[in-house]
Amino acid sequence: MAVRASFENSNEVGVFATLTNSYSLVAVGASENFYSVFEAELQDVIPICHCTIAGTRIVGRLTAGNRKGLLVPTSTTDQELQHLRNSIPDSVKIQRIEERLSALGNVICANDHVALVHPDLERETEEIIADVLGVEVFRQTIADNVLTGSYMALSNQGGIVHPRTSIQDQDELSSLLQVPLVAGSVNRGSPVVGAGMVVNDWMAVTGLDTTATELSVVESVFKLGEGMAPGAINTTNKETMVESFY
Amino acid sequence: MRIETCYFCSQPCYPSKGITFVRNDAKVFKFCRSKCHKNFKMKRNPRKLAWTKSFRRAHGKEMTVDSTLQFAQRRNIPVRYNRELVATTLSAMQRVSEIRARRERQFYKNRMRANKAKQLEADRKLVAENQHLLPPQYRDQVQEILDVEAQKVDMELAQAEDLEVEDLEVEEEERLEEEKTKMKTKRKQRLVRGEGVEEMDVDE
Repeated sequence: MAVRASFENSNEVGVFATLTNSYSLVAVGASENFYSVFEAELQDVIPICHCTIAGTRIVGRLTAGNRKGLLVPTSTTDQELQHLRNSIPDSVKIQRIEERLSALGNVICANDHVALVHPDLERETEEIIADVLGVEVFRQTIADNVLTGSYMALSNQGGIVHPRTSIQDQDELSSLLQVPLVAGSVNRGSPVVGAGMVVNDWMAVTGLDTTATELSVVESVFKLGEGMAPGAINTTNKETMVESFY
Repeated sequence: MRIETCYFCSQPCYPSKGITFVRNDAKVFKFCRSKCHKNFKMKRNPRKLAWTKSFRRAHGKEMTVDSTLQFAQRRNIPVRYNRELVATTLSAMQRVSEIRARRERQFYKNRMRANKAKQLEADRKLVAENQHLLPPQYRDQVQEILDVEAQKVDMELAQAEDLEVEDLEVEEEERLEEEKTKMKTKRKQRLVRGEGVEEMDVDE
């Protein structure tokens, strides 16, 4: 299921939320509206945690996580860390990382098996990522952008990368990740797909401006719609999609 | 709210006090007051200024290796809230601080142990060297006292040496005797052996 939402009139959903298969973090907002979008889909399935990181609401950009773990930056206060620990299941490892690049959501892009990280990340951080998230870590760029987390949205089913990513790069990344990738945009042409949306294996949330075409691409590559076969975006459904939208 | 310690002098920086400096490489420096900040800006090394904690640690004036010092640390992996755990932690904190206070006192005592003798020595030297400052009538007295003391010290030293020498002699003699007896016993044994096995077993 792919849905649209906005956080206080901002389309950048990925900035204010983190979504994984075992938990979800949502920023503390003035209204409950944004929170209810998540709650409508995920209530009684996974815990949704209202939180701040270092006193800010940009939790999606500052944290990185998957089903097995959650990484928070060094600026996270002890109270916030404790709150996260108390609201997220015990099976999820939480760790604070002492890393210069403190916007972990921008520099780490992970699903439950693989993580693509910023090339300048410290070696120790790389080891912690591998340890806490239980993933293989690769230092990569996406369309010559070092911020892998911003320019890529990834789940265990598929991924969307920056619209200007070359076919060779897509193939390379796709073979590294072992999931199908497409180059696409969200929020009416925004190239920062990682920051513009959040996704897990059964749900995606994008900005309110996202066009129907973009949403259908999201649904097909993450296999969120009803009866979507693997790789539908590039084969069977493509023509019908093109017919119906153009 | 975490009370950080000052980067320079290691005293706690309470809210509203001091200044925080974040360097270009994202390292955070907290300063408890402008004194510390100014010293930092002058690129002074806190290890070389006697009023900082790091100086005291670097010069063996405070405990550095101790298990009680390892509790106050920033931990990166949180533990889920548990009322009992918190209760035990709180009581343990009290106990740990008691233990630390005791150890610190002991450490201080150990550090100051040799000072009394050293001070006495220095005083004696001062008196011996600066007698010309005394009024004339006291000079003889002091000389006498000093002589007596010096004799005492000499006596003690001599006695100690004598004792040591005696000890050594005694030890030597003992050793020699032991060796002799050993030789004798060996001879006896040999003799016994020569006589035969059965007689050796006889023990009276």
